[in-house]
Amino acid sequence: MAPIMQVVFDALSLGSLYALGALGIALIFGVMRLVNFAHGDVIAFCVFALLWPSVDAVAIIFAGNLPWFLLIPFTLAVGAGLSVLSEVVVFRRFRRANPATMMIASFALGFVIRYFLLMLFSSRPKSISLLPGLSQPVELLGARIPLLQLITILVTIAVLIGLTAFLRRTRFGLEMRAAAENFTMARMLGVRANRVIMGAFALSGALAAAIALILGSQTGTANIMMGASVMLMAFIATVIGGMGSLAGAVIAGFALGAIATVMQVILPPDARAFRDAFVYGAVILVLIFRPQGLLAARGTKERV
Amino acid sequence: MKRLTAILAATTCLSGAAFADDERIVVGFATAETGFMQAYDKPAQDAAMIRIAEINAAGGLLGKQIEVVNADTKTDRAEGAKAGLSVIDQGADMVVVSCDYDFGAPAALAAESSGLISFFLCAESIKAGIQGVGPNSFSASVLAAVQGATMAEWAYNKKEARTFYRLLDTWTEYNKGICDGFDWMMPQLADATLVGEDTFLNEDASIAAQITRIKSLPEEPDAIMLCTMMPGAVSAIKQLRAAGINSMILNGSGVDGSYWLSAVPDLSNFFVPVQGSIYGDDPNPDVTAFNAKFKEVTGGDPSTQYTYPGYVMIDVWAKAVERAGTTETSAVVAELEKMNGEPTLFGPRTFTSELHHQNQARYLIVETNAGKPGVVDEWTISAPIPVADLMK
Repeated sequence: MAPIMQVVFDALSLGSLYALGALGIALIFGVMRLVNFAHGDVIAFCVFALLWPSVDAVAIIFAGNLPWFLLIPFTLAVGAGLSVLSEVVVFRRFRRANPATMMIASFALGFVIRYFLLMLFSSRPKSISLLPGLSQPVELLGARIPLLQLITILVTIAVLIGLTAFLRRTRFGLEMRAAAENFTMARMLGVRANRVIMGAFALSGALAAAIALILGSQTGTANIMMGASVMLMAFIATVIGGMGSLAGAVIAGFALGAIATVMQVILPPDARAFRDAFVYGAVILVLIFRPQGLLAARGTKERV
Repeated sequence: MKRLTAILAATTCLSGAAFADDERIVVGFATAETGFMQAYDKPAQDAAMIRIAEINAAGGLLGKQIEVVNADTKTDRAEGAKAGLSVIDQGADMVVVSCDYDFGAPAALAAESSGLISFFLCAESIKAGIQGVGPNSFSASVLAAVQGATMAEWAYNKKEARTFYRLLDTWTEYNKGICDGFDWMMPQLADATLVGEDTFLNEDASIAAQITRIKSLPEEPDAIMLCTMMPGAVSAIKQLRAAGINSMILNGSGVDGSYWLSAVPDLSNFFVPVQGSIYGDDPNPDVTAFNAKFKEVTGGDPSTQYTYPGYVMIDVWAKAVERAGTTETSAVVAELEKMNGEPTLFGPRTFTSELHHQNQARYLIVETNAGKPGVVDEWTISAPIPVADLMK
């Protein structure tokens, strides 16, 4: 029983990370059909925001020294702020552009953020001890897991519940859902587009910051490329989940985490190096049988 | 016969004069001044500049001052080839290229096709030399495989490690090189057993599944051979310790340095092979003096042992030039290939006509105990790793 529980926790914690990432991408795609490839760089930026700019090998911890009850809101605010800023400065100008153009713009923005960090911090990965109290093992249901894994899973569940409540119970959430379903119609019915889009960007940025905190405390490293792999998996999760479907993105995120973990467990040693090939193979299979994704968002269907 | 030699010598001189300006000796750095590789090239290049300044202060090489020309590869392979050609056009007698094989090779190939010597600043793949570039290419560092072999043999002999676990990050050739050296050494260690193995990817956000596999072993292994590099190394080490695995962790030199230790507070039972100590406790006081000089020149201490190969590079090349009495490529290569256990500040160096890299080297063993790294021992593997095994 214990080994199985161990795998379940491993899968859930990795899946949580992907689900949070997928949610951040799906939120923005939902309201403005933009696949935001700068999302990964926002994650990296949030971690670097805790350091003082320097190109030395030793990181100068700045905001990272704050106590946790200030550190967490600070990081979330940085993520939300950067994300909103990117909307105001860049994406607002592409509102009428086609999705491919917006996607290219998001790539460009990602490069700008990454090279800005490169300029300030150099390419050398920096070490940071973030929330060190979480690096302790705990016993749970016979499995011995790092406390951080448990917190990651709990935080993700809390975020999901909170977000669901926000989208279903508040006026802003209602507007956002309306905008995701049919943007033009929502505008005609009095939904303020800029407000909704900025809200989506702020939420997405805060989710990126949450990933940054988890990744930062898990890996102890700030690296200008650190968002890239999570971003890729999260993007794939939004595609399998059905572009724009928030529930689909979350389910697919957890599924990807589970597949990656199970592959690592069951593959023979020689094949393990190709684990990701098997994961992507599973992705292809899903898309062959459900090209619209697991849960297709209503707004994205072709209308006759 | 004598006349023939004289004629040959005369033609060699003439052809030499046609290519190189006799008044200058020029070292060309086709390295990354910007971009990702800059952080890795700069320290070794600074160390090389220190050796050049020392030689110039002592009267120069063959009575001439060494001049330096630079071209930026911008951490781009296409720009690398251009940078190589640029320093060759500026009259370089020897071309120094980026630390990494993939990023340094374009400039090294440019040097090779112009018949010039190239030196990788600190590449640790066998390809950085004859096997990947050509007969005039060298690397100033030690093969990654030697690091894995050194750690296995040392832990077996000095720490009585008998059960080993092999954890490979499949991201780079360097990582695989460390584990290849470990694999080569293991069968030579009587009653040492490999109790398990696993792989991960440097960028993996979590190695929880790999850790679960280690934890499900009936007994914690004596030692974990961790074949990885930055930045994934910190993440792997942090997660291993966070999961309560206390086995000794053996590494390649890629994790040397104290700059990352804050990420894993109170790390213990952690071992790294290094060519020289940056921690001020090198058994050779000249290394500590070099560290002080490096700080004086650059304003900071060396952050990892990868600073040192740059110094070794100029040192061995200048000695070979001095002995050959010329900077002419074939004569200098011949002198370099005669070096057998040539003493340098960072251990003896050997080059042969089949390998322009170190397949056996003296390593200092640095142990990190309660978050404090320090030299505890030194080790040279009992036999050089055969070239055939390195080419696998």
